[in-house]
Amino acid sequence: MHTPETDHFEGNNPHEHVLKKKEEMANEIHGDELPGHLGAFLDSTRDTSILFLIFWTVCSQLGFSFAQLNFALLMLGAGWLVWKGAKSTWLANTKLERLHRILKEERFEIENHRPQEREELEALYAAKGFKGALLEEVLDVLMADDDRLLKVMIEEEMGLNLENCEHPLKVGSGAALGVLLAVMLLFVTTWLSPKFGLATLAVLMIGTSGMYIAKLQKNESIPAFVWNLGFAILTYGTVYFLTQWFLSFTQ
Amino acid sequence: MVPFISSPNGFSPSRNNQYIMSKIIAQKLNQEDGITLSEFLESGHSHTASPFLTLDSRKWAKNLSLKVSIFSLSLLILAITFSFFERWAPISSLLQVVIFFLAGTPALIEAIEKLKSFKVDIHVLMVLAAFLSLFIHSSLEGALLLVLFSISHSMEHFVSHKAKSTLNRLSKMAPSTAQVINASGKMIERSVKDVQVNELIWVRAGEVLPLDGKVIEGTSSLDVSHLTGEHAPISISEGIDAPAGALNIEGSLKLIVTRTGSHSTISRIIDLICEANKTKPKLQSWFDRFGQKYSLFVIASSFFFALFLPVLIPSLTYFGSEGSVYRALAYLIAASPCALIIAVPIAYISAINSSAKLGIILKGGITLDTLAKVSSVAFDKTGTLTSGELECLAIKDLQGNPVSDLDRILAIAKGLEQHALHPVAQAIIHYADYRGISAGSVSDCKAIPGLGIQGLARYDQQTLKVAIGSLSYIASLTEGDSKVTLEAYDNEPGHLMAALKIENEIYTFQFVDHLRPDAQKVLKLLKEELGLKTYILSGDNDLSVQRIAKNLNVDQYFGQLKPEDKLRLIEKYSAQENLAMVGDGINDTPALARAAVGISLGNIGSHMGTEISDVVLIKNDLSLVYKLFLKARKTLKIVKQNVVLAGLIIVVISIPALFGWIPLWLAVVFHEGGTVLVGLNSLRLLKND
Repeated sequence: MHTPETDHFEGNNPHEHVLKKKEEMANEIHGDELPGHLGAFLDSTRDTSILFLIFWTVCSQLGFSFAQLNFALLMLGAGWLVWKGAKSTWLANTKLERLHRILKEERFEIENHRPQEREELEALYAAKGFKGALLEEVLDVLMADDDRLLKVMIEEEMGLNLENCEHPLKVGSGAALGVLLAVMLLFVTTWLSPKFGLATLAVLMIGTSGMYIAKLQKNESIPAFVWNLGFAILTYGTVYFLTQWFLSFTQ
Repeated sequence: MVPFISSPNGFSPSRNNQYIMSKIIAQKLNQEDGITLSEFLESGHSHTASPFLTLDSRKWAKNLSLKVSIFSLSLLILAITFSFFERWAPISSLLQVVIFFLAGTPALIEAIEKLKSFKVDIHVLMVLAAFLSLFIHSSLEGALLLVLFSISHSMEHFVSHKAKSTLNRLSKMAPSTAQVINASGKMIERSVKDVQVNELIWVRAGEVLPLDGKVIEGTSSLDVSHLTGEHAPISISEGIDAPAGALNIEGSLKLIVTRTGSHSTISRIIDLICEANKTKPKLQSWFDRFGQKYSLFVIASSFFFALFLPVLIPSLTYFGSEGSVYRALAYLIAASPCALIIAVPIAYISAINSSAKLGIILKGGITLDTLAKVSSVAFDKTGTLTSGELECLAIKDLQGNPVSDLDRILAIAKGLEQHALHPVAQAIIHYADYRGISAGSVSDCKAIPGLGIQGLARYDQQTLKVAIGSLSYIASLTEGDSKVTLEAYDNEPGHLMAALKIENEIYTFQFVDHLRPDAQKVLKLLKEELGLKTYILSGDNDLSVQRIAKNLNVDQYFGQLKPEDKLRLIEKYSAQENLAMVGDGINDTPALARAAVGISLGNIGSHMGTEISDVVLIKNDLSLVYKLFLKARKTLKIVKQNVVLAGLIIVVISIPALFGWIPLWLAVVFHEGGTVLVGLNSLRLLKND
């Protein structure tokens, strides 16, 4: 039976509901760049599309032949795939390394500076509205177990969440796959329609990636699609007309 | 509770600190940095209120759409200039891309959202026209259209922001928590949503009252200027009702909650303003319905002309600056009802919100329409034209001689009247209090509405049959000479009178009812400047009403009216003359409901009054009645001007645009220029004369 209570907890008990919400919020906190392999995949698709669009616009106006243009795009794609995959792996690894260091430092603090940690905890829970005897009781409970205290400090003081990161290699693979897919699609369309294919598909892929990222972040998808489309067209227009203008001085 | 002033050293502001307090209120109302999370959510996630942004970067979001519109306009001027030089043509094109991005992207998003919900309105029309211009190589005209459309949109945004600011200012004054005193006498902070009627709350000096309540301990002064516009502080002590949202200037107060948070005075004012902004006048509702159908017609006819003009006129081509697509696009822009659609709502929203700032709360634009058509106005006397506070001048026997046992008479009269709310009862109670006389024991009280009260009084171990009320009521309980004398008094000119009957003894009470200081001036303005007929409808005796009527030079007056007589008269005159009724008390509620427009004066505390009336004047100021009529007439005048102007622009430019006599850019300038003009004309209503 559906009651307001069960609807609110979405079929879970209150404890499960809180845990689920915390997990969701953890993703929200670090959400300016979508975490994990899926975020890396979509971001790479978008970056690859815009890079190819700029490169293709300039090369086309500089008078590259079709074969030259394709060769240049292929080399750019190969280099870009390696760079994006490596960079994403490295960034994910750096983040993980930083988290491990923070955990180690906090553990040291708990073991060696207990009064200060208690003061920090007191400030944290006083800000949540606890006071007097109730606050003291909460502090005593939390200080009793070092492992629980470490978890509380990591989550409450630093706003970090455990079991929230993906392995750097998985993230890097996602990014590399995004580049690979974008490059392949852009090549196919260039062959199918040498004049408009790449520009059209690149602009659409940028809009679509933006829309999917928004969907995954539970943001509105139509504005995300239109804005990303707008960014792509603005970028294309800037490069196209500036190239034309500069080239007009050489004629 | 949100304290305005930190008082760590037990600082208690004195009466001399009222100036500082008013400064604190102003600061609180205008502060932008102290934005609460709920304010942000209610603002529609506006970046200007985002709690995640730094204070400094919130300024970037202020009037962003207007800033972008102005920036786009300057880019457009550059683009037009560069377009005349061949070498700079690519830069002109680049600037047009930027303009389409800045002004076109938000417009395109809005249009897609509307199409998604199957709505075709002016927004969709404009976006369609702007983007279609790209396909006939008229991107400069498209950019011009987007920029001007964006400017008129910013103006609309500015007006609705102004409307919201009135609400935000009030909402800021409503604390979200209260210090509740629990059963063990301990103070705990609780959300106002969870505090129930009859719970005790504590309000310190410098804090805002979170809920409506009655003072049960402490004395202080309250600043209610932001609620009612009344600048003089109200003194408050035990037994007096205090409204939520008032600032406690001096000592601490213990109050018993009389209304829950959702029903408090400040919530009711906020609800009324919200309701006013949502309730659409007839003309606006009609335009909303018409706009949809008309937009579809314009799109369909534009496509028809684009396709079939070359068939009808064989010399005409499809493309080029003389082609049918070009002409159909110019027609699409010229025939779009942008100005017509914004002509009405901006005017009403501006009028409603500028009135709210004066302390006039309207129940929507429809009230302004009716008010503008009103040709007569009726006033209740007591409490509306007069201050409502009667003063007991004398107590005499039936022969007109001073009484010897005044204490006994006053004790019995007070005993009876303490069950009544009428100003006569209040005057008798005040007079008894002034003489230090306590209420006598009275039982079996029976109130006869509009006439008086009777009961049994215990005095000197005797049980006496007593009654108090109007002269005619006491006369109806009497026989013989006393009855004749009372009836004679009732027909005599003079002050307002009441009578007390103790067994067979009769005593008369004489009162004086003071006119409001501005009553004469206001009625003169209503009659002479606005040409309104004026009436007084009162339950008081004829002679007392006549005295006031002559003083105020009203056209017609009616005294000794029972509630049903008042209703009958209101019905009659409302049908004949579109009568507005101005009243204050609970006893006026049926009359306020029956009149074409019911205006409740200084009555925000009464639930019935605010629900039944069409207009609530939260400030107890009669001059607001004149300002209200003035605003209503000005609103209707501006709406008419706007509609005529907007309609004329459509008729005058759409047909010539179709025949190719008006180029696309000129159609854009006329169309959007008209929209901006209509918007600016409406903004005049934001000003309070």
